[in-house]
Amino acid sequence: MEMLAAAIAVGLGALGAGLGNGMIVSRTVESIARQPEARGPLQTTMFIGVGIVEVVPLAATVIAFLIMFTS
Amino acid sequence: MHASPIIKLGGLSIDLSAVIMLTVTCVIVFVLARLAVRNLSVENPSKLQNFLEWVVEFVHNIVASAMDMRKGKPYISLGLTLILFIFVANLLGLPFAIVTDLPADTKVFGVVLEPTKDLAPGEHSDVLWWKSPTADLSVTAGLALMVFFIIHIQGLRLNRKHYLRHYIEPYWVFLPINIIENIAKPVALAIRLFANIFAGEVLIYAILKAGLFGVPFLAAWQGFSIFVGALQAFIFTMLTMVYIGQATTHEEH
Repeated sequence: MEMLAAAIAVGLGALGAGLGNGMIVSRTVESIARQPEARGPLQTTMFIGVGIVEVVPLAATVIAFLIMFTS
Repeated sequence: MHASPIIKLGGLSIDLSAVIMLTVTCVIVFVLARLAVRNLSVENPSKLQNFLEWVVEFVHNIVASAMDMRKGKPYISLGLTLILFIFVANLLGLPFAIVTDLPADTKVFGVVLEPTKDLAPGEHSDVLWWKSPTADLSVTAGLALMVFFIIHIQGLRLNRKHYLRHYIEPYWVFLPINIIENIAKPVALAIRLFANIFAGEVLIYAILKAGLFGVPFLAAWQGFSIFVGALQAFIFTMLTMVYIGQATTHEEH
Protein backbone atom coordinates (compact mmCIF):
# COMPACT_ATOMS: atom_id res chain seq x y z
CA MET A 1 0.00 0.00 0.00
CA GLU A 2 2.86 2.36 0.72
CA MET A 3 4.11 1.93 -2.83
CA LEU A 4 0.71 2.99 -4.13
CA ALA A 5 0.60 6.03 -1.85
CA ALA A 6 4.11 7.08 -2.84
CA ALA A 7 3.33 6.59 -6.54
CA ILE A 8 0.14 8.69 -6.30
CA ALA A 9 2.00 11.44 -4.46
CA VAL A 10 4.78 11.61 -7.04
CA GLY A 11 2.32 11.34 -9.93
CA LEU A 12 0.15 14.22 -8.80
CA GLY A 13 3.21 16.28 -7.96
CA ALA A 14 4.63 15.62 -11.42
CA LEU A 15 1.31 16.66 -12.96
CA GLY A 16 1.37 19.97 -11.09
CA ALA A 17 5.02 20.62 -11.89
CA GLY A 18 4.57 19.75 -15.55
CA LEU A 19 1.55 22.01 -16.04
CA GLY A 20 3.06 24.88 -14.06
CA ASN A 21 6.49 24.78 -15.70
CA GLY A 22 4.90 24.34 -19.12
CA MET A 23 2.86 27.50 -18.68
CA ILE A 24 5.87 29.48 -17.42
CA VAL A 25 8.21 28.44 -20.21
CA SER A 26 5.63 28.82 -22.96
CA ARG A 27 4.86 32.41 -21.92
CA THR A 28 8.59 33.12 -21.74
CA VAL A 29 9.12 31.76 -25.25
CA GLU A 30 6.25 33.91 -26.51
CA SER A 31 7.73 36.98 -24.83
CA ILE A 32 11.18 36.35 -26.25
CA ALA A 33 9.64 35.98 -29.69
CA ARG A 34 7.89 39.32 -29.26
CA GLN A 35 10.98 41.09 -27.91
CA PRO A 36 14.26 39.27 -28.60
CA GLU A 37 16.37 42.00 -27.00
CA ALA A 38 14.79 41.36 -23.57
CA ARG A 39 16.01 37.77 -23.63
CA GLY A 40 18.40 37.95 -20.65
CA PRO A 41 16.01 39.31 -18.00
CA LEU A 42 13.21 37.10 -19.33
CA GLN A 43 15.33 33.95 -18.98
CA THR A 44 16.33 34.98 -15.45
CA THR A 45 12.71 35.57 -14.46
CA MET A 46 11.77 32.22 -15.99
CA PHE A 47 14.31 30.34 -13.86
CA ILE A 48 13.13 32.12 -10.73
CA GLY A 49 9.52 31.27 -11.59
CA VAL A 50 10.41 27.61 -12.14
CA GLY A 51 12.22 27.56 -8.79
CA ILE A 52 9.20 28.92 -6.98
CA VAL A 53 6.66 26.68 -8.71
CA GLU A 54 8.73 23.50 -8.22
CA VAL A 55 8.84 23.72 -4.42
CA VAL A 56 5.54 22.01 -3.66
CA PRO A 57 5.84 19.16 -6.23
CA LEU A 58 9.35 18.50 -4.91
CA ALA A 59 8.04 18.47 -1.35
CA ALA A 60 5.47 15.90 -2.56
CA THR A 61 8.34 13.81 -3.99
CA VAL A 62 10.25 13.96 -0.70
CA ILE A 63 7.11 12.92 1.17
CA ALA A 64 6.77 9.98 -1.25
CA PHE A 65 10.37 8.92 -0.47
CA LEU A 66 9.63 9.22 3.24
CA ILE A 67 6.55 7.02 2.82
CA MET A 68 8.50 4.41 0.90
CA PHE A 69 11.60 4.22 3.00
CA THR A 70 10.61 4.82 6.57
CA SER A 71 6.98 3.90 7.44
CA MET B 1 18.27 3.90 2.52
CA HIS B 2 21.24 4.55 4.70
CA ALA B 3 21.19 5.74 8.28
CA SER B 4 22.82 8.97 9.42
CA PRO B 5 25.53 8.91 12.10
CA ILE B 6 23.60 10.85 14.71
CA ILE B 7 24.98 11.17 18.24
CA LYS B 8 23.11 12.57 21.21
CA LEU B 9 25.27 15.09 22.99
CA GLY B 10 23.89 17.11 25.88
CA GLY B 11 20.29 16.58 24.81
CA LEU B 12 20.92 17.63 21.19
CA SER B 13 21.07 15.25 18.22
CA ILE B 14 24.14 16.00 16.12
CA ASP B 15 24.50 14.50 12.65
CA LEU B 16 28.21 13.81 12.25
CA SER B 17 28.03 13.43 8.47
CA ALA B 18 26.54 16.93 8.17
CA VAL B 19 29.31 18.34 10.38
CA ILE B 20 32.03 16.58 8.38
CA MET B 21 30.58 17.56 5.00
CA LEU B 22 30.05 21.18 6.01
CA THR B 23 33.70 21.36 7.04
CA VAL B 24 34.76 19.81 3.73
CA THR B 25 32.64 22.36 1.82
CA CYS B 26 34.11 25.26 3.79
CA VAL B 27 37.66 24.04 3.16
CA ILE B 28 37.06 23.58 -0.58
CA VAL B 29 35.47 27.02 -1.06
CA PHE B 30 38.19 28.68 1.04
CA VAL B 31 41.02 27.00 -0.86
CA LEU B 32 39.37 27.82 -4.19
CA ALA B 33 39.01 31.48 -3.27
CA ARG B 34 42.53 31.80 -1.88
CA LEU B 35 44.08 30.10 -4.90
CA ALA B 36 42.21 32.46 -7.20
CA VAL B 37 43.58 35.60 -5.57
CA ARG B 38 47.24 34.54 -5.54
CA ASN B 39 49.35 36.63 -7.94
CA LEU B 40 46.53 38.90 -9.01
CA SER B 41 47.21 40.54 -12.35
CA VAL B 42 45.25 42.99 -14.47
CA GLU B 43 46.84 42.34 -17.88
CA ASN B 44 47.49 38.64 -17.49
CA PRO B 45 44.95 37.01 -15.18
CA SER B 46 45.21 33.31 -14.41
CA LYS B 47 42.29 31.11 -15.41
CA LEU B 48 41.07 30.77 -11.84
CA GLN B 49 41.19 34.53 -11.33
CA ASN B 50 39.23 34.99 -14.55
CA PHE B 51 36.63 32.48 -13.40
CA LEU B 52 36.20 34.06 -9.99
CA GLU B 53 35.94 37.52 -11.53
CA TRP B 54 33.14 36.17 -13.71
CA VAL B 55 31.38 34.80 -10.63
CA VAL B 56 31.71 38.14 -8.83
CA GLU B 57 30.25 39.93 -11.83
CA PHE B 58 27.43 37.40 -12.01
CA VAL B 59 26.56 38.03 -8.34
CA HIS B 60 26.82 41.78 -8.97
CA ASN B 61 24.18 41.43 -11.70
CA ILE B 62 21.95 39.41 -9.37
CA VAL B 63 22.12 42.10 -6.70
CA ALA B 64 21.67 44.90 -9.24
CA SER B 65 18.53 43.31 -10.62
CA ALA B 66 17.01 43.12 -7.13
CA MET B 67 17.85 46.53 -5.67
CA ASP B 68 19.63 49.80 -6.33
CA MET B 69 23.40 49.27 -6.26
CA ARG B 70 24.07 52.04 -3.75
CA LYS B 71 22.09 50.02 -1.21
CA GLY B 72 23.15 46.71 -2.68
CA LYS B 73 26.94 46.98 -2.57
CA PRO B 74 27.36 45.37 0.90
CA TYR B 75 25.41 42.30 -0.16
CA ILE B 76 27.71 41.23 -2.99
CA SER B 77 29.96 39.36 -0.55
CA LEU B 78 26.91 37.68 1.01
CA GLY B 79 25.70 36.66 -2.44
CA LEU B 80 29.14 35.39 -3.42
CA THR B 81 29.42 33.31 -0.25
CA LEU B 82 25.95 31.83 -0.68
CA ILE B 83 26.33 30.94 -4.33
CA LEU B 84 29.80 29.38 -4.01
CA PHE B 85 29.00 27.52 -0.79
CA ILE B 86 25.66 26.14 -1.98
CA PHE B 87 27.02 25.18 -5.42
CA VAL B 88 30.00 23.27 -3.96
CA ALA B 89 27.76 21.70 -1.30
CA ASN B 90 25.29 20.50 -3.95
CA LEU B 91 28.07 18.94 -6.02
CA LEU B 92 29.77 17.01 -3.23
CA GLY B 93 27.25 14.16 -3.10
CA LEU B 94 27.48 13.38 -6.81
CA PRO B 95 30.84 11.68 -7.43
CA PHE B 96 30.64 9.11 -4.62
CA ALA B 97 29.18 8.25 -1.25
CA ILE B 98 30.94 6.60 1.69
CA VAL B 99 28.90 4.05 3.59
CA THR B 100 30.26 1.93 6.42
CA ASP B 101 28.75 -1.20 7.98
CA LEU B 102 28.93 -0.69 11.69
CA PRO B 103 28.26 -3.34 14.36
CA ALA B 104 26.04 -2.77 17.38
CA ASP B 105 26.91 0.05 19.77
CA THR B 106 29.73 1.71 17.83
CA LYS B 107 31.13 4.64 19.73
CA VAL B 108 32.41 7.94 18.38
CA PHE B 109 34.04 10.32 20.88
CA GLY B 110 32.77 8.00 23.57
CA VAL B 111 29.13 8.43 22.58
CA VAL B 112 27.11 5.66 20.94
CA LEU B 113 25.94 6.24 17.36
CA GLU B 114 22.14 6.28 17.20
CA PRO B 115 21.66 3.85 14.27
CA THR B 116 23.77 1.22 16.04
CA LYS B 117 21.96 1.48 19.33
CA ASP B 118 19.35 -1.26 19.36
CA LEU B 119 21.04 -3.83 17.13
CA ALA B 120 21.39 -7.49 18.05
CA PRO B 121 25.08 -8.48 18.51
CA GLY B 122 25.51 -9.96 15.00
CA GLU B 123 23.70 -7.24 13.02
CA HIS B 124 25.24 -4.32 11.14
CA SER B 125 23.74 -1.01 10.17
CA ASP B 126 24.69 0.96 7.04
CA VAL B 127 25.79 4.44 8.02
CA LEU B 128 26.27 7.14 5.40
CA TRP B 129 29.26 9.41 6.03
CA TRP B 130 29.76 11.32 2.75
CA LYS B 131 26.79 13.08 1.16
CA SER B 132 25.84 16.59 0.07
CA PRO B 133 25.42 18.68 3.22
CA THR B 134 22.46 20.38 1.57
CA ALA B 135 20.71 17.00 1.37
CA ASP B 136 20.09 17.48 5.08
CA LEU B 137 17.11 19.62 6.10
CA SER B 138 19.00 20.96 9.14
CA VAL B 139 21.71 22.46 6.94
CA THR B 140 19.33 24.17 4.51
CA ALA B 141 17.17 25.33 7.42
CA GLY B 142 20.31 26.83 8.97
CA LEU B 143 21.09 28.74 5.76
CA ALA B 144 17.47 29.90 5.47
CA LEU B 145 17.42 30.99 9.13
CA MET B 146 20.61 33.01 8.63
CA VAL B 147 19.05 34.72 5.60
CA PHE B 148 15.85 35.32 7.59
CA PHE B 149 17.80 37.13 10.30
CA ILE B 150 19.69 39.21 7.75
CA ILE B 151 16.48 40.27 5.99
CA HIS B 152 14.60 41.33 9.08
CA ILE B 153 17.49 42.87 10.98
CA GLN B 154 18.50 44.92 7.92
CA GLY B 155 14.87 45.87 7.34
CA LEU B 156 14.57 47.11 10.91
CA ARG B 157 17.91 48.91 10.87
CA LEU B 158 17.78 50.61 7.50
CA ASN B 159 14.13 51.06 6.73
CA ARG B 160 12.31 50.81 10.05
CA LYS B 161 9.20 52.88 9.36
CA HIS B 162 8.35 51.45 5.95
CA TYR B 163 9.37 47.93 6.97
CA LEU B 164 6.95 47.99 9.90
CA ARG B 165 4.29 49.65 7.80
CA HIS B 166 4.31 46.95 5.16
CA TYR B 167 2.89 44.48 7.69
CA ILE B 168 -0.39 46.37 7.73
CA GLU B 169 -0.43 47.19 4.04
CA PRO B 170 -2.93 47.45 2.33
CA TYR B 171 -5.33 47.04 5.27
CA TRP B 172 -4.71 46.10 8.90
CA VAL B 173 -6.69 42.84 8.47
CA PHE B 174 -3.82 41.64 6.27
CA LEU B 175 -1.50 41.46 9.32
CA PRO B 176 -1.76 37.66 9.82
CA ILE B 177 -1.32 37.07 6.08
CA ASN B 178 1.79 39.25 5.98
CA ILE B 179 3.24 37.49 9.03
CA ILE B 180 2.63 34.09 7.42
CA GLU B 181 4.21 35.37 4.20
CA ASN B 182 7.35 36.41 6.06
CA ILE B 183 7.60 33.03 7.76
CA ALA B 184 6.83 31.09 4.58
CA LYS B 185 9.66 32.72 2.62
CA PRO B 186 12.62 31.19 4.52
CA VAL B 187 10.69 27.91 4.99
CA ALA B 188 10.23 27.70 1.22
CA LEU B 189 13.92 28.51 0.68
CA ALA B 190 14.96 25.67 2.98
CA ILE B 191 12.50 23.14 1.57
CA ARG B 192 13.26 24.01 -2.05
CA LEU B 193 17.01 23.47 -1.69
CA PHE B 194 16.63 20.37 0.49
CA ALA B 195 14.02 18.69 -1.72
CA ASN B 196 15.96 19.28 -4.95
CA ILE B 197 19.25 17.89 -3.67
CA PHE B 198 17.75 15.10 -1.53
CA ALA B 199 15.55 13.87 -4.39
CA GLY B 200 18.64 13.82 -6.64
CA GLU B 201 20.55 11.68 -4.15
CA VAL B 202 17.68 9.24 -3.60
CA LEU B 203 17.37 8.82 -7.36
CA ILE B 204 21.09 8.06 -7.61
CA TYR B 205 20.54 5.39 -4.95
CA ALA B 206 17.56 4.01 -6.90
CA ILE B 207 19.48 3.98 -10.22
CA LEU B 208 22.40 2.16 -8.57
CA LYS B 209 20.05 -0.64 -7.60
CA ALA B 210 19.75 -1.47 -11.33
CA GLY B 211 23.44 -2.43 -11.31
CA LEU B 212 25.40 -2.29 -14.54
CA PHE B 213 22.38 -1.45 -16.68
CA GLY B 214 21.97 1.77 -14.77
CA VAL B 215 25.34 3.26 -15.75
CA PRO B 216 24.16 5.38 -18.74
CA PHE B 217 21.18 6.57 -16.69
CA LEU B 218 23.52 7.39 -13.85
CA ALA B 219 25.78 9.44 -16.11
CA ALA B 220 22.81 11.37 -17.51
CA TRP B 221 21.31 11.90 -14.07
CA GLN B 222 24.59 13.11 -12.58
CA GLY B 223 24.97 15.61 -15.43
CA PHE B 224 21.44 16.84 -14.82
CA SER B 225 22.16 17.06 -11.09
CA ILE B 226 25.12 19.36 -11.73
CA PHE B 227 22.76 21.68 -13.58
CA VAL B 228 20.16 21.43 -10.80
CA GLY B 229 22.83 22.17 -8.17
CA ALA B 230 23.93 25.32 -10.00
CA LEU B 231 20.34 26.39 -10.61
CA GLN B 232 19.36 25.93 -6.96
CA ALA B 233 22.39 27.92 -5.78
CA PHE B 234 21.43 30.70 -8.19
CA ILE B 235 17.77 30.66 -7.10
CA PHE B 236 18.68 30.73 -3.39
CA THR B 237 20.98 33.72 -3.89
CA MET B 238 18.54 35.50 -6.20
CA LEU B 239 15.59 35.11 -3.84
CA THR B 240 17.73 36.23 -0.87
CA MET B 241 18.61 39.42 -2.72
CA VAL B 242 15.00 39.98 -3.78
CA TYR B 243 13.77 39.60 -0.18
CA ILE B 244 16.51 41.89 1.15
CA GLY B 245 15.59 44.44 -1.50
CA GLN B 246 11.91 44.22 -0.57
CA ALA B 247 12.68 44.73 3.13
CA THR B 248 15.19 47.56 2.81
CA THR B 249 13.82 49.62 -0.06
CA HIS B 250 11.20 52.28 0.33
CA GLU B 251 8.99 52.12 -2.72
CA GLU B 252 7.32 55.25 -3.95
CA HIS B 253 3.61 54.56 -4.28
